[in-house]
Amino acid sequence: MLLFLIASGMSIVMGLMGIINLAHGALYMVGGYVGWTIAVQYDLNFGLAVFLGGCAGGLTGLILERGFLRRLYKQPNEQVLLTFGCIYILSNLCMWIWGPRRRLQFTGEFLSGLIHIGGIPFPMTRVFIIIIGILVAIGLWWMQSKTRLGAMVRGGMDDKEMTMGLGINLERVSMLVFFLAAFIAGIGGVVGAQLLGVYSWLSTDILLLALVVVIVGGMGSVQGALLGAIVIGLIDTVFKTLLPQFSMFTIYIAMIIILMIRPSGLLGRRI
Amino acid sequence: MEALRVEGLSKDFGGVHALSNVSFSVEVGEHLAIIGPNGAGKTTLFNLLNGQLPPTAGRIYFFGQDITTMPTHRRAHLGQGRSFQIISLFLNLTVLDNTLITLHGTKRSRFQILRPTKRYEHLLTRAQEMLTSVALWERKDELVKNISYGEQRRLEIALTVASEPKLLLLDEPSSGLTAAEGADIATMIRNLGTDITVVVVAHDMDLVFGVADRIMVLHYGQLIADGTPEQIQADSRVKEIYMGIEEGTGNARAS
Amino acid sequence: MATAKLKEAVKQPWQGRLIRFTPYIAGGVILVILPAVMPSYLQGIWTKFVIFAIFATSYDLAYGHTGLISLGHAAYFGAGGYAVALLMLHYGIDSLWIGLPVGILIGAAVAAAFGFIALRVSGMYFLLVTFALAQLLFSITWNVRWFNSPGMMGIAGLPLPDLGIPWFSWSPISLYYFVLVMFLISFFLIHRITNSPFGYALRGIREGEPRMRSVGYNTWLYKYIIFIITGAFAGLAGVLFVYYNRFISPTHIGITFSFLPMCMVIIGGSGTLLGPIIGAMIIIFVEYFASLFTPERWPLILGTIFVVSIMYARGGIAIHLSRLWERMSYRYGSTKS
Repeated sequence: MLLFLIASGMSIVMGLMGIINLAHGALYMVGGYVGWTIAVQYDLNFGLAVFLGGCAGGLTGLILERGFLRRLYKQPNEQVLLTFGCIYILSNLCMWIWGPRRRLQFTGEFLSGLIHIGGIPFPMTRVFIIIIGILVAIGLWWMQSKTRLGAMVRGGMDDKEMTMGLGINLERVSMLVFFLAAFIAGIGGVVGAQLLGVYSWLSTDILLLALVVVIVGGMGSVQGALLGAIVIGLIDTVFKTLLPQFSMFTIYIAMIIILMIRPSGLLGRRI
Repeated sequence: MEALRVEGLSKDFGGVHALSNVSFSVEVGEHLAIIGPNGAGKTTLFNLLNGQLPPTAGRIYFFGQDITTMPTHRRAHLGQGRSFQIISLFLNLTVLDNTLITLHGTKRSRFQILRPTKRYEHLLTRAQEMLTSVALWERKDELVKNISYGEQRRLEIALTVASEPKLLLLDEPSSGLTAAEGADIATMIRNLGTDITVVVVAHDMDLVFGVADRIMVLHYGQLIADGTPEQIQADSRVKEIYMGIEEGTGNARAS
Repeated sequence: MATAKLKEAVKQPWQGRLIRFTPYIAGGVILVILPAVMPSYLQGIWTKFVIFAIFATSYDLAYGHTGLISLGHAAYFGAGGYAVALLMLHYGIDSLWIGLPVGILIGAAVAAAFGFIALRVSGMYFLLVTFALAQLLFSITWNVRWFNSPGMMGIAGLPLPDLGIPWFSWSPISLYYFVLVMFLISFFLIHRITNSPFGYALRGIREGEPRMRSVGYNTWLYKYIIFIITGAFAGLAGVLFVYYNRFISPTHIGITFSFLPMCMVIIGGSGTLLGPIIGAMIIIFVEYFASLFTPERWPLILGTIFVVSIMYARGGIAIHLSRLWERMSYRYGSTKS
């Protein structure tokens, strides 16, 4: 589910703007750090931490887009490389501000403990993550299919010039989408911190997972990201229990298989 | 001897029938022109013939050989040459580099890793001949993006001919050119004689009538007329299509 | 007669050629003469610079010359390095004559495997896939015991290679000249490749792949072959790095390491022969100075330099330099027509 939060944002940005924001993982990390500050240092409400983490992620993403990506308009390759460079900058900045030590898992008071569903105990944290994930998924789906914004985004993905020709300000839509994706990533950072904690090289770890999900599920679609996340999550947990030594590699093998058989991913738009 | 035969060729793009059940053949040495309003499927047909797209149905035969699923580069070796509607030359490379790369395309030497390109004297000579014939030898070190559009077109077509193909596929060779430049292209094609089979897609009627032995008309992906220039000019269905356009826009040159 | 005049036409008069050769002469002085008179810690840095010059140039063969943007080049570098290190660790083989070829071959083999998978897709996807595959290798070396010295991460305590010459023993300066020789051989080969019909074809593929296919080139094959070649050169750099560094670890396969040649190429200038070398020089020396004053901020500095170059110094420094040389050599003698 966590994977979905990150992958969906990346996928949409890719489909609409034609670039892959490699720094998406870094946005996740920023959100996580800020959330930590709110929840642990200032000891405030966890829900507030989640929200502010999201905002931090979104804000950073916005700066990234307006300040840097804009300058390289119409040069998609350079933009992707730029985001990669930003990973370094953001990671090191976070390390500077928050110190190099790993921040441990943290969570809200009301979320510790177990909840019983059908007689099986689940940790509240995981249930919380799943719920957030489902909410985001529903929100995105609703936005995509039902709202005017969603229609503009879909139009932009299919045919940029036509959409612009219809008088829609694609730049502003892109900016909004980027912010939204970054916001979701930031939320993911806080929520995911319950399981993974936050540390300065989190950006690349998360990025990698998100990439595998996006490659397997297909680029450019929220459904793809969801399917990919579920598939990868399943494969990972199944193999972790069956063959623990190989758990690291199974997701990569899945990725390789998909690439050899169906390069555009399970639900992806044709490359 | 048929240079090209097409049977039942169709291409669908998820619901849009770009080409429907097109069948025709071209004799060696024939100069065929394909005309039709925009969106009729002319460039799609070329993409199928040249291998950029796979057909949804149908077969393509080149000098008797079934090439329906053959990749583009192998068709080039069999003897196909193609020019593109939008100029496809390498804009950031020099005229000479463009020429050398194109000439090497069908030679074994294209896999040579260690010998410098400029040492292949016979190809340099050929390049000089070819570039001189289109008056571009003096500009050989200039980047292609810096020569005029007309010169780029001339270069592209000359390059397509230079590899000595058996079948020439020219997609809108005179688009964007002045009437005089277009006439030059027409002369160039006529001078190819009966050694090379030529299929031209065009909107420019002067070019079409100046070059074609035979004309085919495509409309909404279907072949609706096929005959000599006189027959086509007299054909009522053709007139209807073009008259319709003329009435709509007051302009016989659909473009 | 006719051909002789033709060859004349594409050659430049001697003044122009002399000016064009000046950077090479300057480079020769810097690379050959200077290190002999340096203190030994600087020689080490110079050695590192030359090794990375090989690494960066190999990357540019794919990136600038052919247009294949990959993000996992350290995988082939590390593969070569690990090959040599593992030979020493598990089999006690430290002979140069075995280690070097094996390292190069392993680098090429990994590139062949990864390239086959990655070339199923193109553009942005290609970037991602090469990245993910490199990380796969990274996690293998991290997790599998066989790839590490007992009780630690990575392989340490590696000896210098055995040349089989009894009276010979290594010193920083002799190691440097050895690396330099390897560099010159690589540079010469790469120069030949880029000027060959094969190299010209790669440029065509970069500029317009569909046209190349129409003209008769099997573009997939070209991309695959050059990818393997770059893997071989990267593997060579990896082997030399192990000889220099005496230590290798999974970080040398990871994404942070893959970033370095890309950075060097972009700063120095892609698509040129000298660009990656200049970029390597800049990065290695800035890293050295950073390590003296602010070691923790190095990634930040690197990232900032990178971002600034991408945004403003398009084409890199080498492009500006080469334009300067072009203008000067044009003035003193242009091609006759």
